[in-house]
Amino acid sequence: MLIPHPLLGLRDAQEFTYLGDARLIERPTSGDEAELADYVFQRDNPAGLHRELWFHEQGDRSWLVVTRNTLTHEILGAELARDVSLARKEGTA
Amino acid sequence: MTDLSPLCALGATAPRRVTHGALTLAETPDCGLASLALRTGTPPPSLPLPEPGRWHETDGLTAFWTGPGQWLVEMPGCAEVDAAAMLGERAPGASVTEQTDGWVLFEISSTGGAEPIERFLERAVNLDLTRFAPGHATRSTIEHLGTYVLRRAEDRLGIWGMRSAAESLWHALETIAGRQG
Repeated sequence: MLIPHPLLGLRDAQEFTYLGDARLIERPTSGDEAELADYVFQRDNPAGLHRELWFHEQGDRSWLVVTRNTLTHEILGAELARDVSLARKEGTA
Repeated sequence: MTDLSPLCALGATAPRRVTHGALTLAETPDCGLASLALRTGTPPPSLPLPEPGRWHETDGLTAFWTGPGQWLVEMPGCAEVDAAAMLGERAPGASVTEQTDGWVLFEISSTGGAEPIERFLERAVNLDLTRFAPGHATRSTIEHLGTYVLRRAEDRLGIWGMRSAAESLWHALETIAGRQG
């Protein structure tokens, strides 16, 4: 499986480690306990498109948000998680 | 007084060197290494820094990209001096850390042009060779060991690996070279 790294091009998946749902970036800051419990424990398990966090551990050590089809394992795109997080902060500011 | 004998990473007093067919592997203990990371608001250092996936040589110093805003800088002949201090003078305000003692450099050269080097790379590392022409440098794994691989020229490679695993990495590289020799 090849992952299209936004800076380095196609790289072998064995260089990466997988964390999980990309919504882990969206940690709630309201202090509401129920909301935090949902953030920590609840995950969707979609059959189809899924945005997930991958770490380029044996490469440049960047975190990526990879869009993957869980049915076919097709990789549809990858962005730097830093860019995703900064864009989200700008959107909420 | 303690009488210390300096040793190379492979445990001998002289660097190891071996030739298999067109390929020569050479332990290169005299190259210093320091990391350079730019902080927010740091003035640009007096050293051109390469783009992602590349290396660039200036005044004998070779910088290669290791991550966003981070580089490693090779300083030939500076393994026994304070390489980080020398680099720090050229990059005021940036984070510079001595790395020489943690790493080992193996240089691989070919007497048969690019073809033996490319056959070697095909077996050693899972990289797209169409994107690994001279001028490229990247981090990847060789036999599960994290390494930096620099394509110095069509017929030359530099490979930085963990000093603590120098013997394992050498074994992997020499085995690959021996099979194609």
